[in-house]
Amino acid sequence: MTSAATNLRSVPLARRFLNFTWLTLGLAAAILVFEAFAQPSIVVTTLVTGGMWALMAAGLAMVFGVMNIPNFAHGELFLLGSFTAFTVYSPIREALLNDPSLTWLKILGPFPGMVVALVVGAIAGVLLEAVLFRPLRRRSREQWVMNTFLLTAGVSVVVINSYRLTIGNDFHGVPAYWDVPPISLFGVPISVDRAMVLVIALVTITLFALFLQRTGLGRAIRAVSQDETGAQMAGIDLNRIFILTMGISCALAALAGASLLFLFPAYPDVGLQPLYTAWFVVILAGLGNIPGAVIGAFIVALLQNLTIFYIQVGWVDVLPTVFIILILLFKPSGLFGSAVKGVWEQ
Amino acid sequence: MTNGRVLDVAHVEAGYDLLQVLWDVSLHVDEGEFVALLGPNGAGKTTTLRTIAGFLQPLDGDISFRGTPIGGRPAHTVSRMGLGYVSESLNLFPAMTVRENLQVGANSVRNKAQVASTMELVFQLFPRLLERRDQLAGTLSGGERKMLAIGRGLMASPSLLLVDEPSLGLAPMATVATFDALKALRERGVTILLVEQNVNTTLHLVDRAYVLEQGRIVLEGTGEDLLSNPHVQAAYLGI
Repeated sequence: MTSAATNLRSVPLARRFLNFTWLTLGLAAAILVFEAFAQPSIVVTTLVTGGMWALMAAGLAMVFGVMNIPNFAHGELFLLGSFTAFTVYSPIREALLNDPSLTWLKILGPFPGMVVALVVGAIAGVLLEAVLFRPLRRRSREQWVMNTFLLTAGVSVVVINSYRLTIGNDFHGVPAYWDVPPISLFGVPISVDRAMVLVIALVTITLFALFLQRTGLGRAIRAVSQDETGAQMAGIDLNRIFILTMGISCALAALAGASLLFLFPAYPDVGLQPLYTAWFVVILAGLGNIPGAVIGAFIVALLQNLTIFYIQVGWVDVLPTVFIILILLFKPSGLFGSAVKGVWEQ
Repeated sequence: MTNGRVLDVAHVEAGYDLLQVLWDVSLHVDEGEFVALLGPNGAGKTTTLRTIAGFLQPLDGDISFRGTPIGGRPAHTVSRMGLGYVSESLNLFPAMTVRENLQVGANSVRNKAQVASTMELVFQLFPRLLERRDQLAGTLSGGERKMLAIGRGLMASPSLLLVDEPSLGLAPMATVATFDALKALRERGVTILLVEQNVNTTLHLVDRAYVLEQGRIVLEGTGEDLLSNPHVQAAYLGI
């Protein structure tokens, strides 16, 4: 329980954190505005990749905040999504190659694959909770974060290698979802595929935020992340919330994989880079903070795209990491980390 | 089922791992009654409430709520049956506003009009919460937090409310306000089982009380009976 005295002491701290956070955000915004004139393509790619990292990172942050699970198998849900989308989209693509006059199929394009990926991702999440985490939770909650970290890292290895054994090492991808000329956004030519990814990310994140803020179930999820005992006292069934949380998180990761199939073809460890990036984002934003993860995703995407454009692709993981280390030195709880702690820290 | 019996705890034994805390505890609460459970630190008062609310499995004995056995049922099920519990540490949601905390309290209520009218009732009872409705719970004062915890406990319109040490850590003025609120609740017909260490005030307030010492019920009686009981006077009232 926080006493009045600790509240008073935390005021200057809070002010410092605000300033530091605003400084970083201001800097990012300034760079975006500058690049909008100097190099608009950076802004556009930042929005597109940032949107997808946001889908990955928001789910990762939610699972950590609600269930205290550092999910290192999150990238494999990305893989699941991209392979599912490939499987569903391939016959559609074949039909289109045979008969290019099927306009309705052309417009429909990747959407069936995405919907199926979303559903398959959700089912995988529910299974992970029901088959792995629930039995572990029932057995013991000691060393929970460490144990679930090892468990998810193990799941990642098993999934990657099972995929390699059954499906193989080939790249299963598509050159483009829509074979149409690029459109123009802020004067920058952008492929329809990328524009669609941006729209999907924005719509999904908005719906997700509305769900968490405005609905009873969303409130229940937030309640569990803030106080499990209090949530049970209010009649909330923790098991139901855990299933739902895991399902939504994994569905979002699978949707990201499906949407980015034209950039990331399905192959055994395609999920690793999105996983690392999502972890960069979540650590940068502050563990368990969902809105922070969305903003952090765009900051990391900006850093990556600046690196790619001004330095070279090889440095794409180095510079953001250095930046994150610098931020953590000054603000160990992350940009948006607050005094409000997860259950396991209390 | 006994007529009007809301809660019946019969010969309950409970504890944590190897440490047994409660020994053969029996108590009951009838419809509309205001009952207190008194006793020194470590007597097992909180353990009793936690066991009733479903956060602790009883080792032995029966607990029934309105005739339905609830011993060992998960806490959220017990809560949904209409047994509200306000814990000692309150367990509020610090990063949610006062209003959101109350809304979560009404989680199991489907009827929106009912939620709105219960919230109005809570705001009537605690006008302070109305003033702070859009403030985060983590920024409230100690007294306001107690009010919010009791208010959240009321949101599901429970037919029995368990309240654990509402006066703990409060300034005298805030304690008086909390007890006034409990009195008002009782006048509205809410059945309450209260755990307290503030023996004198409590005995003047309640219908009946139990005294728990070292995990066993040692005394039982009306508030007046216990006020004049020599053991209570010597051990708790300093007379």
